[in-house]
Amino acid sequence: MTTETQHGSVIVMDRRRGKLRAGQGLLQGLRVVWDHWAGSFRKNDNFSKIHGTFTVEYPEERLPMPQAYRNMPVLLFDDESGHELCTGCYQCQRICPPQVIHITQAKDPVTGKMVPAATEFIIEYDACMSCGFCAEVCPFDSIKMDHVYELSTANRASLTMRKAQLNRSISYYTGIAPGLWAEVQAGAMKKLQGSIKRRPDVIGLAASLTEKIKARRLELAAAAAAAPAAAAVSAPAAPAAPAAKLTPEEKAAKLAAMKAANANKGAAPAPAEAPVALSPADAKAAKLAAIKAANANKGAAPAPAEAPVALSPADAKAAKLAAIKAANAAKQAEAAPVSVETAVATAPLDAKAARLAAIKAANAAKLAAEQGNNE
Amino acid sequence: MQDVVNQVINTSFGWGWPSWAIALIGYLIVAALLFGIAPFQMLFLTLYERRAIARMQDRIGPNRVGPEGMFQPLADGVKIFTKEDIVPTAADQWVHFIAPCVVVAPTMFMFAVLPWGPGMVPVDMNLGLLFFFAISSVSAVGLMMAGWASSNKFALVGAMRAVAQMVSYEIPAVLSLLAIVLVTGSLSIVELINYQGGLFISTRDVASVPDWGLGWFIFSPVGFLAFIAFFIAALAEGERTPFDIPEADSEIVAGYMTEYSGMKFGLFYLAQYVLNFLLCAITSIIFFGGWQGPGVGWLYAQAITPVNPQGGWVFNVLAGVLGVFYFLTKTYGFFFVMVWIRGAYARLRIDQLMDFGWKFLIPLTLVNIFSAAIWVGLTKWGAADGLAFVEGWSPLVRWAAAFGVTLALNLGAYLFLARIFAQSQDERARQDDDVLEQLTNVA
Ligand code: SF4
Ligand code: SF4
Repeated sequence: MTTETQHGSVIVMDRRRGKLRAGQGLLQGLRVVWDHWAGSFRKNDNFSKIHGTFTVEYPEERLPMPQAYRNMPVLLFDDESGHELCTGCYQCQRICPPQVIHITQAKDPVTGKMVPAATEFIIEYDACMSCGFCAEVCPFDSIKMDHVYELSTANRASLTMRKAQLNRSISYYTGIAPGLWAEVQAGAMKKLQGSIKRRPDVIGLAASLTEKIKARRLELAAAAAAAPAAAAVSAPAAPAAPAAKLTPEEKAAKLAAMKAANANKGAAPAPAEAPVALSPADAKAAKLAAIKAANANKGAAPAPAEAPVALSPADAKAAKLAAIKAANAAKQAEAAPVSVETAVATAPLDAKAARLAAIKAANAAKLAAEQGNNE
Repeated sequence: MQDVVNQVINTSFGWGWPSWAIALIGYLIVAALLFGIAPFQMLFLTLYERRAIARMQDRIGPNRVGPEGMFQPLADGVKIFTKEDIVPTAADQWVHFIAPCVVVAPTMFMFAVLPWGPGMVPVDMNLGLLFFFAISSVSAVGLMMAGWASSNKFALVGAMRAVAQMVSYEIPAVLSLLAIVLVTGSLSIVELINYQGGLFISTRDVASVPDWGLGWFIFSPVGFLAFIAFFIAALAEGERTPFDIPEADSEIVAGYMTEYSGMKFGLFYLAQYVLNFLLCAITSIIFFGGWQGPGVGWLYAQAITPVNPQGGWVFNVLAGVLGVFYFLTKTYGFFFVMVWIRGAYARLRIDQLMDFGWKFLIPLTLVNIFSAAIWVGLTKWGAADGLAFVEGWSPLVRWAAAFGVTLALNLGAYLFLARIFAQSQDERARQDDDVLEQLTNVA
């Protein structure tokens, strides 16, 4: 029974004080319980209903987890490049209330400088209290809360998770929390690109992928060394493209090559000798120019843009070899449009070398373009 | 059983053993059977209770160990056996040790007079009912021992409550049975069941009624009121919710069991569930005819009995199976009601318990004894007893008159007492409110 008061309506229980109660209340109580008992042989899948069993028989049935459910933290890596999002900034280690996160910052083996990546990342799951602070504080959206809750083990030590065990791909995380990832995706990926630029060699790659990528790079280098001349157009190397095309150094090389190509396109009518002549100072630049010329010479201009990228040799020697051969070929060339692909195809794996080569190629191309325009 | 043993040893083998040896062997076999059955009942009832109460709470209950959780009690038993037995240093070692035995033993004794089916009673004692309830009170001693020897305040409080509760609820239980004993004129449990043949009306009251085994006491006003009072008292005796005050977990941990662990704790549990089973069994025997039911009486009449040695043994088996089936169905039905009540009601306070027992149940059962006397007078007495005016009435009219008078008397008494009790409770609640108001200074 509801009663209106000045503060709103209030439910007032009629306890029938002073009236004869000969056990009706007790019987009503029994009635309620009986209804529940009788109704409990049905399953209650609609939670607006009062009767029916609610039990989810756990090992066989499971409730879908809400996106924001959090159990234990994991580290994300990018599916495409294999790079981890973590930069080793120590924010999570600092905020963790039970102090169960332990990070080792990565260092450049050559220069000894800090690299935005973590070489080791340990979380003691046995003491983690699933507070989610680490995930909340991470500026790079690298640490996220997983939904896996079946972690029981007879061995406590196995709950000390190292980086390799903590790694989860972004696609895994979008699988369990698509909405949460969509919110942060743009920022996280942008920051990741920034980190990738500052990571030499395989530092910062997901442990499960490091070996694979290393091996692939070597393989590609070998392939390029074996068939340097035909590399630009050879079909077998093409399928390998997606695996290798995304390493940062190659991207940088590609970018430079593209610029060069664009410039060269403008300078299409320029004679083959011109670029070579225009960069006498640097031997490498000369070689690169020669390669471009060689390519033009071969008349393989319509080769697809992606294929050559895939074929970038890892080894500097191989690159040089290819360059020389290309240069020789170029010498015989009369005039031909310079194509992008070749420059990229010969880009050395080593990042610095690649960048250098690319820059030089670009410069050469620019010069060539100017020359062409001038002429 | 002794007949069978005698038949096998002395007739089939011709060994000619003395009758005391035969009796000893017979009783040993029965005792062994009962000692097997009692723990089995406890195991079954724990599962039964957990499953039933789970359903009432919209859950499923234990269903993992074996099909439908059948072996859950076994798993629990194994667990409890492997637990460490801890005796507090401050405890009175010997009393602490003996207490569980003193609690369990009476419940085993009570099986001695419990009839399972027609002719299936370990000992047909002519004081069976008295024996049953006298023995059941012994376990109060065990509870007190347990509480005292633990030297733990919760245990002691629990034991005091248990004893207070048992003592006060024995009275309405026995008074309500007294009414039944007045009607049957016998304290034998077997006789009590035999009285309940018939159809709605007992054949002993009106001989012309067909015997369908349905002349239960519950169908008479005297029996009905006695049943209500007795069942409430049984809940209190068996320490079932809403009267589980001695082991109120939210107040005094586990009452007198607080300091017990391992199998000693298991023994208390065993005693409790076996006692619950026995209380349900005796309720079904006294008020619902025990093994009486359609068909049993007829089958038993064809069987080999001392009265009818020419019967067929098949009928013995059939009557036994059907009788035990009826008996257990009723018993487990009452246990379901116990669980149902547990699912529905909250625990009473100790003063509410005492109020209810002394101010409501005891007066009610006293009135019921008066009704029972009227019932006996109207249905059985004649001119010799000074009731000449009923002499000329037919049995059915006499029964109807008794039914009407006792119904009016019992109903009137119930309503009157309910009113008084409700008023006193209201008054108490009002006083409580006043005190609360003074204490908190809030309207
Ligand atoms: S969830 Fe909380 S306790 Fe666990 S690692 Fe992250 S910050 Fe530490
Ligand atoms: S997980 Fe995030 S917060 Fe922790 S060190 Fe890596 S980038 Fe920093």
